[in-house]
Amino acid sequence: MGIPVGQMVAVTRYVVRQRLARRKRYPLVLMLEPLFRCNLACTGCGKIQYPSSLLKRHLTVEQCLAASDECGAPVVSVAGGEPLLHPQMPDIVKGLVERDRFVYLCTNALLLEEKLGQYKPDRHLSFSIHVDGPRGEHDRSVCREGVYDKATAAIRAALSRGFRVTTNTTLFEGADPVRMRKFFDDMMALGVEGMMISPGYSYEKAPDQEHFLRRERAHRLFARMLSAPHKTWRFNQSPLFLQFLMGKRDFECTPWGNPTYNLFGWQRPCYLLQDGYAQTFRELMEDTDWSKYGRASGNPRCQDCMVHCGFEPTAVDTTFRSVRALGATVASMATGRL
Amino acid sequence: MSDINELVERAFDYRGVVTLARRDGSRVVGYVYDRGPSYIELFDDNGGARLRVPIADLVGIEMTGEDCAARATQAWERRRGKLEPAATSIWGDWGQHPILVLTALHGELVSGTDASVIVRALGVGGGAAHVIAEQKPRVVISCGFAGGLDASATPDRVVLATAVREEIGDPIMAPEALRSAARDALFGLVVEGEIVCATRIAATPDAKRALARPGRLAVDLESWAIARAAQRAGIPWLAVRVVVDPFDVGLPAFACEPRASYFGPALRHALRGPAAARELVDLAQRARRARRTLGIAMRRIARVLAEVTP
Repeated sequence: MGIPVGQMVAVTRYVVRQRLARRKRYPLVLMLEPLFRCNLACTGCGKIQYPSSLLKRHLTVEQCLAASDECGAPVVSVAGGEPLLHPQMPDIVKGLVERDRFVYLCTNALLLEEKLGQYKPDRHLSFSIHVDGPRGEHDRSVCREGVYDKATAAIRAALSRGFRVTTNTTLFEGADPVRMRKFFDDMMALGVEGMMISPGYSYEKAPDQEHFLRRERAHRLFARMLSAPHKTWRFNQSPLFLQFLMGKRDFECTPWGNPTYNLFGWQRPCYLLQDGYAQTFRELMEDTDWSKYGRASGNPRCQDCMVHCGFEPTAVDTTFRSVRALGATVASMATGRL
Repeated sequence: MSDINELVERAFDYRGVVTLARRDGSRVVGYVYDRGPSYIELFDDNGGARLRVPIADLVGIEMTGEDCAARATQAWERRRGKLEPAATSIWGDWGQHPILVLTALHGELVSGTDASVIVRALGVGGGAAHVIAEQKPRVVISCGFAGGLDASATPDRVVLATAVREEIGDPIMAPEALRSAARDALFGLVVEGEIVCATRIAATPDAKRALARPGRLAVDLESWAIARAAQRAGIPWLAVRVVVDPFDVGLPAFACEPRASYFGPALRHALRGPAAARELVDLAQRARRARRTLGIAMRRIARVLAEVTP
């Protein structure tokens, strides 16, 4: 398991508190998008297609910290856009860390080596580096040559300066399970703390609409990729979520688990769909018609979605719902088996 | 009404700027990010203000801006299979262009800002266009001292130009969004109005009276040329000045000619008698206050520009 014990304890304490308070819906990870502009134009990304007047804007430090205070989630994933393009990102990270949030700063790492000096290693801060597979696959995914090499160089630089580093990998149709297994070996050999994997979501606005994984194919890919996992592999995710990806478990989406805050407000209903915005977190949680989302709802946009932002919270919640699920999680963490 | 509701949904789904036509004949241009049963919400075209417009007020909606999602798809289809070269800037289209502060004299240079701010003294000959082309800034600021054309402009106040103009000719209007951000940054310290650019220093109260008009706050020698160069380069600009010699105060004659050093002439002036020496002390005190005011102003502006301009 690629999550430090201190973080695991903090998240466990938080979840137990929510359950004891009998909260039906609670956030686990705040998806903070302080800006939409990016220095890459990835083939499967539907997040950055906005007029330049909006791309030039970003949330202020105060807005970001207020969103975290309002939401209360113990983990904050800073996404975008490319967060390192934000001129005040170090202040945002500092403010979140001071609030004891566990921050995953999601970056394509192109600017990381240049900006590392602006950050201090901290157990609450992890650089989550976007790497979609081996060199060829990743460069194709981000539509630029040499990005894999830059990302791995940045990973080495960050590790050598004492930072926590994880990877996040989005998989698309055509991914080769054998090459991906070798990729996991390579990332672990680099020394990353843990890896996060997920099938891509079929963003309506993404340029490439042909390579999003459908559910059955995703199950087959993940089953082949993760069967008999190497002992060295550490995933920064719940084992139950990985089992879900492999088709061993059936989960329903928890769209409120990873609420998203950006320039427009609190995004309804989730990180992937944009059905409107609430101006307060409370309004998002209380006024959204959640019955319209998730596979069981019949919403066609949810049918093939298996993305971590909806299902990882389900996996975590499931872990604490029964002794059996807790046992399965602990066993998987202890043995490395999925 | 059903047609307009359909248009509202299309506008909400559209990844581009739209124009709303209202019953009163006015138009609102912006990006629609949300809608409700009775309203539509958008960022205005400058990406600045959030607006909520009642749907009942609308008679039409046009998708007037480029469809950014379609543009991304077309770009991707054009280069299908081909990758951007490794040498492509790691900043993408968002290079870290500096804020360029242009002054006339080295004595006006402002310290204590940060690394994203480049300060250049142009000298009397100008050359703003050349420096702008060389530095590729994201914002240009004309900064320095000025003469007062209104009692509200003192060494303790920053004059933020609403427009700059030559003695004759049309004014160049300062970009509103940037000026608004600077105004907020300079809260409590700022007066806003026109700056007129003369061809020589207006050294006497009479010379200033000749230039004074309602709304004109200060006179300098450089801001118009800097604003024109920035405008031609398509770069937003500000003119930020602090008055050293207020409206009813003159300058000693030696201060009217641009020089590399004023020490010798100032000494000679002081030796002319007690009145001249006192005049010099007053001038030095006002210059110190003005420099301090300018320093505070530039630090505040640099901080706020880091937030509003990428």
